[in-house]
Amino acid sequence: MGKEELREELLKKLHEGVVEFEEDQVREAAQKVLDEGLNAYDAVMNGLAAGMQEVGDLYDQHEYFVPELLMAADALYVGLDILRPHITLEDLGNKPKGQVVIGTVQGDVHDIGKNIIKMMFEVAGFTVHDLGRDVPLEKFVEEQLNTDSEIVALSAMMTTTMMGMEKVIKMIKEKNPNVAIMLGGAPVTSDTAELFGADGYAESAGNAVQEAIKMIGRLREMQEK
Amino acid sequence: MSRNGTAKVIFQPSGRRGEVEKGINIIEASRRIGVDIETLCGEKKVCGKCKVRIEEGSFEKFGIVSSRDHVGPWQEEEGNFITPDQKEAGYRLACAAEIMDDLLVFVPEESRAGKQVVSKAARDIEINRNPAVKIYTVTIIPPSFKDPLGDFERMMQALEKEYGLKGLNIDLFTLRDFPNIVRKGEWTVTAAVWMDKEIIKVWPGEVEDYYGIAIDVGTTTVAAYFCNMRTMEVIDTVSMMNPQCKYGEDVMARITYHMQNPGGLERMSNDLIEGLNELIKQACDGTHPAKKKKKDETGKVVKGEDGQPVMVEAPEEGKVYPRLEPSDIVDLTLGGNTAMHHILLKLDPRYVGLAPFPPVIHRSLDIRARDLGININKSSNVFVMPNEAGFVGADNVCVLVTERPHTSDELQLIIDIGTNGELVLGNRDKLISSSCATGPALEGAQLAFGMRAAPGAIERIKIDPKTHDVDYKVIGREAWLKYSKPEDMKTKGICGSGILDVLAELYRSGVVTKSGRFSKTQKSNRFRNNPDNPRQKEFVIAWANETSIGKDVVITQKDVRQIQLAKGALYTGCKLMMRRMGIDKVDTIKIAGAFGTHVAKDKALIMGLFPDCDLENVMSVGNAAGDGARIVLLDRNMRDEANWIARNVEYIELTVEKDFEQQFMESMQIPHMKDEFPHLKGYVPEEILHQK
Repeated sequence: MGKEELREELLKKLHEGVVEFEEDQVREAAQKVLDEGLNAYDAVMNGLAAGMQEVGDLYDQHEYFVPELLMAADALYVGLDILRPHITLEDLGNKPKGQVVIGTVQGDVHDIGKNIIKMMFEVAGFTVHDLGRDVPLEKFVEEQLNTDSEIVALSAMMTTTMMGMEKVIKMIKEKNPNVAIMLGGAPVTSDTAELFGADGYAESAGNAVQEAIKMIGRLREMQEK
Repeated sequence: MSRNGTAKVIFQPSGRRGEVEKGINIIEASRRIGVDIETLCGEKKVCGKCKVRIEEGSFEKFGIVSSRDHVGPWQEEEGNFITPDQKEAGYRLACAAEIMDDLLVFVPEESRAGKQVVSKAARDIEINRNPAVKIYTVTIIPPSFKDPLGDFERMMQALEKEYGLKGLNIDLFTLRDFPNIVRKGEWTVTAAVWMDKEIIKVWPGEVEDYYGIAIDVGTTTVAAYFCNMRTMEVIDTVSMMNPQCKYGEDVMARITYHMQNPGGLERMSNDLIEGLNELIKQACDGTHPAKKKKKDETGKVVKGEDGQPVMVEAPEEGKVYPRLEPSDIVDLTLGGNTAMHHILLKLDPRYVGLAPFPPVIHRSLDIRARDLGININKSSNVFVMPNEAGFVGADNVCVLVTERPHTSDELQLIIDIGTNGELVLGNRDKLISSSCATGPALEGAQLAFGMRAAPGAIERIKIDPKTHDVDYKVIGREAWLKYSKPEDMKTKGICGSGILDVLAELYRSGVVTKSGRFSKTQKSNRFRNNPDNPRQKEFVIAWANETSIGKDVVITQKDVRQIQLAKGALYTGCKLMMRRMGIDKVDTIKIAGAFGTHVAKDKALIMGLFPDCDLENVMSVGNAAGDGARIVLLDRNMRDEANWIARNVEYIELTVEKDFEQQFMESMQIPHMKDEFPHLKGYVPEEILHQK
């Protein structure tokens, strides 16, 4: 078997392993990538992450649901744990995509949704600063300033706590108008996001990352001008 | 804002909404959106049955501004049916009012074609009679020159002599009526005494029967139990939709409405009080004979001077009518969830909606009815049940007062299913409670064809495992589809009890897999991609020719996911509480809530609403919240017990429990990802139950 064929086969195994939540298959394939001296970064991006992208797609169509998403995530992390230490700086020549501060706002203790979004960001190559749940509003502002993250992602699962988002947005934009803020969570709609002055709105895990990438693109354009 | 040419229309209280082109009338819009408004005359503006109210204001929840200017001009014929007061309040005839822009339309109960079937009927329960309000009949010696003592003191002497009652107060309003009443009764009176402390009403002469009312304020439905306090019998049960529904379907939406709108709390409270007064009036009206139009000898309707038909009473033979008025009601008890409790009393509910969700007050309250604006006997008090926690309220205390798990040896799991699920687990040694956000999916809201329990709603379903063909039964029709002509079904949607059946049957017959995903091996043409949204999979429950809405009634993949979320939340709650108590099974499961009465327990177990349990030990306890309000009305000792319960049940916040996320995820599968269900043997085929 030629090297390219082998690469194709392993990428397929990683991809499938994530979609079908076969942790063993992912573990074996990831190990083989290293044993055969193939590129770990390539395996992560074109194997694991591609698989996760398909999972996100299935989720958007309601074909997959939270349990499947989380099981796929487990399979993904099995592969990531093996491959990540072997990713070289050279691989990251095209730099990480960006940094995100993420958390569930004060008064809210629901964080499953937030955790899913966080994972999608990690898969897509973002550096994620997770503040957890029931996060005081000022903490988002501090963390953004400390890390100089391009994106702040706020989650709320209750309409009552959703109201706090508006304040955070104001506070952050006052300090740093260039930060892109995205909102998500059950009660949030694109209308609310617009009303509160957010830059983006994620209806689901799948489009959160795409939305984030778009937002960073817009930010960079603005900065280059 | 709507696009040019179309307007958003939302109907309350059903919550159905849609976009229609401007210029059509409200009746037409109601048909397209699937709301039934009564029209007897065929939109000729002559029957007056289709009265609706146009709501005024900005409704952020729906993203619309509704205004009376958003309908076409008032038409003369409307004045024949709508009084000037009603016109002022925004009433219109739905067949006359043309839609010009976005609208929030309230359809009053009498204009709804399919009346809701509310199952909040009273159950037979054992109650120890010891009401807070007791009555005493005394004969008083009239004053004379020798003995010119005051009327009140005179009555007190008699009460002490005959019943040993001492040191009673009297409310000023009762005292004002007293001198005339005592003389009207020719010095024999009956006094109503509250908690052995205060006289709150005096009747002339001897009175035996007296009345109280117990009210359960649900987020969606309000039910009142009208009781004879002497015989303890429930003389009538009346119910209505909670008038606050227009501000939001669930508790959180109501709290948010208050946070966003100045005066919102006032408005919601006032609407509810107004509703309660109407309900009380309705209960009293039921104790009078029905009225009908007066006819002369030739059978012609007699008209009065105002041109309206003259109404006369038409009593049924042999029936006794107590002919009560709201002022005859001497005691009233109220139960409801914490948010309803706070909003009713105009206590700021905002902190109940924010972690860690503290209520403003736990203990019960005695409030003068007149201070709340509730129209019953002026001097009477309203007893407001105590709260356990922010999300386990007075309604749950009502359930516990009824079921009394704190006196039992058996480990009981009590599940109260409503828009919010409340769970209590334990026995005499320890009781814990928690709440889980089941959301409205189990009640039919948010699903593509979900609807309230009204005629035309599918309430039972069977799916053939061999052919995947569907048989079902709708409310208001005895015969199942199999024994009916399709056009006789007049199906409209699926209601709460049908929803449990759907998921259980989809799973049992192999249409969906354990994960909730539609199976790849379908045996009928019912499974398809949605014609308008090919990415959405769906399963047809009723074909268009069986419906009265001219559309296939389907259950979508997204619907299945919504139900899974709701049932997963409930199952996780049960399981985490059992873990807290260190047990892996319970002796008894009791399902409360109006919903509980309709749940087929085998279906509930199949879909994994709660952990495995012998079906023999799963029981429905009906509307235990309403029963509890009735118990404290008739037994004052239970008021103390309610307060004890409220402070001695330990509340647990589930979402911060260790590995909540993992548990929740496992619980979303049908019946569960890992837990065994030995009691489903025989109910579900082996190969389905043990699928990977």
